[in-house]
Amino acid sequence: MQDNSDARDEGVRARADLLTALILVGLGCVVIYLSWTMPRLEARRIHPSTIPGLVPFFLGIGLAFCGGLLALRSWRIQAPGGWQGLFGLVKTREALRVGVLLALALVHTLVLVGLIPFWAAAMLFIFAFIMIFETWLSDGPAEPLKSALWALAIAIVGGGGIYLVFERIFLVRLP
Amino acid sequence: MEGLVLLGQGVAHFLTPWSLFNVIWATLLGVTIGILPGLTATMGVALLVTLTYKMAPDQAILTLMCVYLGAIYGGSRTAILLNIPGTPANAAATLDGYPLARQGKAGLAMGLATTSSTLGTMVGIFFLAIIAPVLSEAALKFGSYEFFWLALFGVVISGQMTGSDTPLKGYIAGILGLLIAMIGMETLHAHQRFTFGITALGGGVDLIPAMVGAFGLAEILSAMKRKAVAQVVPVNDRVVPSLKEIFQYWRTIIRSGIIGTFIGIIPGVGEDVGSWSSYAAAKRASKHPEEFGKGSQEGLIAAETGDNAVVSAAMIPTLTLALPGSAAAAVLIAAMLIHGIRPGPMLMVENAPFLYQVVAMLLLATIANLIFGLSLTKLFIKVLAVPRERLMAVIYILCVVGSFAITQRMFDVYVMLIFGVVGFLLREMKYPMAPLVLGIVLGDLLDLNLRRGLALTNGDPSPFFTRPISAVLCAIIVVIVLMSIPAISTRVKGIFRRGAEGRPARS
Repeated sequence: MQDNSDARDEGVRARADLLTALILVGLGCVVIYLSWTMPRLEARRIHPSTIPGLVPFFLGIGLAFCGGLLALRSWRIQAPGGWQGLFGLVKTREALRVGVLLALALVHTLVLVGLIPFWAAAMLFIFAFIMIFETWLSDGPAEPLKSALWALAIAIVGGGGIYLVFERIFLVRLP
Repeated sequence: MEGLVLLGQGVAHFLTPWSLFNVIWATLLGVTIGILPGLTATMGVALLVTLTYKMAPDQAILTLMCVYLGAIYGGSRTAILLNIPGTPANAAATLDGYPLARQGKAGLAMGLATTSSTLGTMVGIFFLAIIAPVLSEAALKFGSYEFFWLALFGVVISGQMTGSDTPLKGYIAGILGLLIAMIGMETLHAHQRFTFGITALGGGVDLIPAMVGAFGLAEILSAMKRKAVAQVVPVNDRVVPSLKEIFQYWRTIIRSGIIGTFIGIIPGVGEDVGSWSSYAAAKRASKHPEEFGKGSQEGLIAAETGDNAVVSAAMIPTLTLALPGSAAAAVLIAAMLIHGIRPGPMLMVENAPFLYQVVAMLLLATIANLIFGLSLTKLFIKVLAVPRERLMAVIYILCVVGSFAITQRMFDVYVMLIFGVVGFLLREMKYPMAPLVLGIVLGDLLDLNLRRGLALTNGDPSPFFTRPISAVLCAIIVVIVLMSIPAISTRVKGIFRRGAEGRPARS
C-alpha cells in the first residue's frame, strides 16, 4: 500500500517536474532574448565584454540548459497516471486549504490594507483565518463557539499588540 | 595575543544589563520559534530584522544571533517530543530523539540535545575565532577574478549539496536567484535591467521582503497544508544529563563539531547538511551502528552537535568574504548592511572588534540556550501545544509588517507575496531554497566582478584561469559540476572502488 502511494507520488512529481522544466526552458529563452536585445551602450564607448546583458545572457543559457536536462530526465521516468494525478491535486483538501489561505492573504493585503487602518485589517484577517481553519477546514471536530471566542481574543491581542509594539514602542511605521 | 585581548573586550562589551536583557528575551523567542513546527530560524531572523531596526548595531546583531542560535537549538525539542523537526536542521535528530522519548527517556534526550548543541556551538566558535582573522587577511589579496569565482562557487556548491532530489534542481534554484539579482540598476554602467518600466524595480529586489516571503509565507502555506501534528510524548525522567553520559561520546562530539564547522564554512549549505553529515559519519564510526535510528544517544548527540557547529562556522565566510554560510546568515548580512556594518575582507581592517563581538554573541547565546534548555522544560513543552491555526494568522501579519517596515513601500509587501507563493511551489517540487537565496545575495558580486575583471584586461579572460587562486576555484567548480552528472560520478566512484579492492590483493 505504502509502495503504491510512493510510486504514485513519484509519478506525479515527475510530471510536475516536466511541466516546470518546460516553463523554465521558456523563461531561459525569454531571458536570452531580452539580454541579447539589451542596449549595449555603444554611445558611451564601453568595452563590448562589459555590456549589461552579458551575465543575464549566460544565466539564460544556463537556465534553458538545466531546464532542458530536467525535462529529459522527467520525460524518461515511467509515470502511468502521472498527469491525471498532477491535475487531480487541485481538487484535494490540501489544495483547498492553500487556496483559502492565499485568498485571505490577498484580500487582506491588496484590499483591506489602505482601505481601513492596519490594526483593523489585521484583526479582521486573524479572526477570519482562525474561524475558517478551526471550523470549516478543521481536521477534527469543530467547536464554533469556542473558536469564535479564541479568534476574537487573538485578533484583539495579536492585531492590537502588533500595532502597539511596532508603531508605538519600536516606532516602526506600519502600512 | 591581540586576538585574545579583542575576544576579552568583545565578551566584556556585552556584559551589561541591557545586553543581557536582550540575550534573554531573544534566546527565549528563538527557542520558541524553533520549537513551533513551521517556523524556521531564517524566518525568525528575517521577521525580527524589523524589530531591531531602531536598535544600536551591536545590540541588533546580538538579538538576531540569539534568535538564530536559539531557533536551531529549539527545533530539537519538537524532533524529540513530536517526531517532527522544529526546523529543517533538526530532521536528523528525529531519528534517535523520538525513539528515545518513546522509551521513556524524553528528558534525557532533551538534556543530551541541549548539551551537545552547546558543545557544537563551542567547537564552531573556536574555529571562528581562529580561522576568520586568517581568512580575512588572505581575502585582502583577492581581486575581481577571485571574487567572481567565489560567488559562482557559492551558488554551485550550495546547489550541489542542498538539491535533495537532484543537484539539477539546486543549480536551477541558484540560477533563478542570480537572475532575480540582475533586476534593477547594475553597478558598472548604471543601466536598468529587466525593470519593464516599473520604477519600484529600479533598486532591484530587496533581500528582506524576498526572504520573508520565501521563508515566512511559504512556511505558513506548507504548515497549513499539512494535517494537524501528532501528540506530544510525555516527559517523566530527569533532563540534566550526567557528565559521563555526555563525555563517553567525546570523539563523536569533536568529530561532529569539526564536520559541522567544515559544512558551515561552505557558502549557503546550512545546518541541515551539517546535521545529516555528522550523523552519517557517527554511524560509520560507531561501535554500535545497529542502534542508530532506534534510540542511539550517540546518534542524537552527533546530529545536534553538527547543526549547531554550522551556525558559528557559517559566520566565517559571512564575516570575512560576505558569502553567507547559510540562509539565515544571508539575512544577517542584510541586517548588518542596514546597520552600517560592512562584512567582507575589509571588516578586519575597518572594524576588527566586531568579529570578536560576534564570537562573544555566540558564546552568550549558547550559554543562554544551555541554561534555559535545562531549566525551562515544562514551559517549552507548553509552546508545543499552541494550535497552528491560531499562530499562523499572527505570523502572516508579522510577514506583512516585516516586509513593509524597512523601506516603507507596499511594493515590498507584494514582493513578499510573490516570493511566498513561488517559494511554496518550488518547495513542494523539492527545489532547495538556500541556492536561490545565495543567488540573490551573490548575483551583484558575480556580475560586477566578472565585468570589472574583463574591463581591467580589455576583454581578455585569461586571468580568470591563470591566477593561482582563480585557477583552483575554477577547477573545483568544474569538478563539482562534473561529479553531479550521474554517469561521470558512477565511473569515478567505480575507479576508486576498484582501486580499494585491488590494494589488499597486491599486498
